[in-house]
Amino acid sequence: MTLHVTFRVGNARYVVPAAEVLHLESYETATHVPGAPAYVAGLVQVRGRLVPVVDLRIRFGLPAIEHTIDRRVVVVQAGTRVAGLLVDSAREVLQIDDAAFEHPPELVERQTAGFVKAVATVAKRLFLLIDIPRVLGEELRP
Amino acid sequence: MSERVDLREFVGAFVVEAEELVAAANASLLDIEAGSAAGTAKPKAVRDLFRALHTIKGLASMIGVEPIVEIAHALETLLRTADRAGGQLGRAAIDVSLQGVLAIAERVRAVAENRAPASVPERLIEAIAATEANADTVTVTPSAGSVWDARLSASERQQLAPALRGTTSAWTLAFLPSDHNASRGVTIATVRARLAELGEIVKVVPRTLRDAAGAQTGLAFDILVVSTAPIEALAEAAATTPAEVVALAPPPAEPAGAGPAVELAGPGLEVTEDAAPIGRAVVRVELSRLDELQDQLSLLIVSRFRIERELAAHAALGHDVRRLREVVELQARQLRDLRRALLKARMVRVAEVFEPLTLLVRSVARSSHKDVRLELDTRDTELDKAVADRLLPAMVHLVRNAVDHAIEPPSDRAAAGKPTTGTIRVSCTQIAGNQLELTIEDDGRGIDRAEIARRARRSIESDDALLDVLATPGFSTRDTVTRTSGRGIGMDIVRRIAVRDLGGDLALTTRPGLGTRFTMRVPLTIAIIDVFSFECGNQTFVVPVAAIDEIFELTDAGVTPPRATPAGRAAGPAVAGPIVSLLERRGAAMPLLSLGAVLAIDDGTRARKALVTRRNGEPVAFAVDRMLGRYEVVVRSIDDPLVDVPGIAGATDLGDGRPTLVLDLGELAMLSRAGAAS
Repeated sequence: MTLHVTFRVGNARYVVPAAEVLHLESYETATHVPGAPAYVAGLVQVRGRLVPVVDLRIRFGLPAIEHTIDRRVVVVQAGTRVAGLLVDSAREVLQIDDAAFEHPPELVERQTAGFVKAVATVAKRLFLLIDIPRVLGEELRP
Repeated sequence: MSERVDLREFVGAFVVEAEELVAAANASLLDIEAGSAAGTAKPKAVRDLFRALHTIKGLASMIGVEPIVEIAHALETLLRTADRAGGQLGRAAIDVSLQGVLAIAERVRAVAENRAPASVPERLIEAIAATEANADTVTVTPSAGSVWDARLSASERQQLAPALRGTTSAWTLAFLPSDHNASRGVTIATVRARLAELGEIVKVVPRTLRDAAGAQTGLAFDILVVSTAPIEALAEAAATTPAEVVALAPPPAEPAGAGPAVELAGPGLEVTEDAAPIGRAVVRVELSRLDELQDQLSLLIVSRFRIERELAAHAALGHDVRRLREVVELQARQLRDLRRALLKARMVRVAEVFEPLTLLVRSVARSSHKDVRLELDTRDTELDKAVADRLLPAMVHLVRNAVDHAIEPPSDRAAAGKPTTGTIRVSCTQIAGNQLELTIEDDGRGIDRAEIARRARRSIESDDALLDVLATPGFSTRDTVTRTSGRGIGMDIVRRIAVRDLGGDLALTTRPGLGTRFTMRVPLTIAIIDVFSFECGNQTFVVPVAAIDEIFELTDAGVTPPRATPAGRAAGPAVAGPIVSLLERRGAAMPLLSLGAVLAIDDGTRARKALVTRRNGEPVAFAVDRMLGRYEVVVRSIDDPLVDVPGIAGATDLGDGRPTLVLDLGELAMLSRAGAAS
């Protein structure tokens, strides 16, 4: 069993391993960074640290939404990088059996452009496991 | 804490210490080499070198890096012999020692990187053992007599050396000009001529004669001459008596007991408990710890901004905040002092930072068969360790290029009527705005602009344009351009370091056949800087005060707010913003760019102010909406690839808990020109 943080983007539920999550922060606004990729919401400061935030709605090709009090920044650590994932809401943590994860169905894989690396069904709810380096644009690495 | 962790910590300390000792050993060796070239013994440098190696050996044996122990031991043995020879090392011994120190340095690096260090280099150890410490040195007399000791140059001592070894004789005598002598036609000129026939004049020094009361009574010439002629002949030549001609004392005999046994230590070389420590009251601190302090300070500065905001809010409500304001202002001063003290702690001497360049020039010059001299003129300048660490690779590039490509082979230089030894001069001065100006100048062949233009397939009208071409990533290849034109390798990296990483600038002047000069300006520190904050397209930005030459009101300058169509901006580099207009400032035309358009965040119609910055030394103005103030801020770099965007140098916090972007206007100017050109 591994602890995961769950969150919502659009109509889907996603998870990331809790071990890779540093903080959950509420979100008001980020500093726009001109010239950064469109899916970068901007920079926020979390406990004195500058964190770039990826807007998962834009990253996943969903329409932007108005500001809501439910939006959260899931601050994740990927190797030496620290970045935030802007999600519609993030409320619970969940123990998921590692064996429950399966290769995503072809349809999901195609729709999510490789950002989902596995899926798991827990209590009849489907959770999509995010490929964090992919979402953070590992291809941007110089 | 487990043993493992302890050991790792110790390894870290070993690496720090060993790297410093390796640097000290190299410096000593170069000093000895310079001395040997000038015929001067360097006993102190030999001792320092010995001590450094001895310490390295001890440290290495503590953490069990046997190859380092062996190399250091072999070098120590060589040095004991050298010390007995009066502190001289022959060329072969210096070479083999440099190789030995390099071999140690490689293994220290391996330890630092958690790799297994290379094994004992048997051939090197044999080579060291087979080297005679002073096989090919010019033996230099320790003393030529007290009167002459201080007066003789290195080459004069060398001239004197055979005499003092007993092959010829050295004599001192004095010539006193007088009316009598003059009437016989005997002057210092004739004495010189006569003595020159009898031997070799080493030196002539005039001396004022005084009577008992100290009044000046006349002049005498002290003459030092090496000659095999009889005393009488010398006396006659100088119009004096044989009794006045004094032989220089031969050097004192070797002290008894200093036998040839290599195992025995020379008298002065043992490292004793009371040997003066190399570093005085110096504490070595890892940079990360200073960074941590700096981060804490930055949090303090941020909370000060917040207090000021609260204060302003209270004042706006009509509360009496005078006393509070006094305290806040006092605290502001104290923070400034703290900041200054912390900055000082981060400063390192430029002379130390650039030390590796000497070694670099030596090795590159040798491998490319050139004679090159490096002149380092760093005065007492200092700079932030973090800047120094970033700067050094750029300096290495420039200096290596200068040796490799700019300085011609000795034969070419001779053919061109230049001294066969090329000179590279690196100098460094602190200039206004807390900046350091570095120049790297060579007297080599210069850069062939026409050749570069042909290769780049574009015309190159100026040195600035030339630098632009040279600094284009991937512009040159070693086999074609550099051989014929002199420069090009890695110039993009040099410029990136100077401009992008350090927020400075880089310029170039070159004269065919005469040489090339690079001028780099970098900030002394990149941690806390003074900035102007301003608004543009509803977003607040800051720029370093040092980057701004002038701020003016657009309407005052007779310029209507620039109108630009916001350029379409795809993800990727900031390429937008046409030159919206040219304005005239003090008789010179200056392009005016709309910052909002360049950043693709605004159409620029609300712009009321212009900030003037430099692009390759040329002024460029940016139109912004309004100025907000001036702050001291901590700049944090943003290096995550998601937000690593040209033109944005970092971010800071002006007290609202939100990041404010620090712009690099110079780079934005550069990019917008590139955009306009393409």
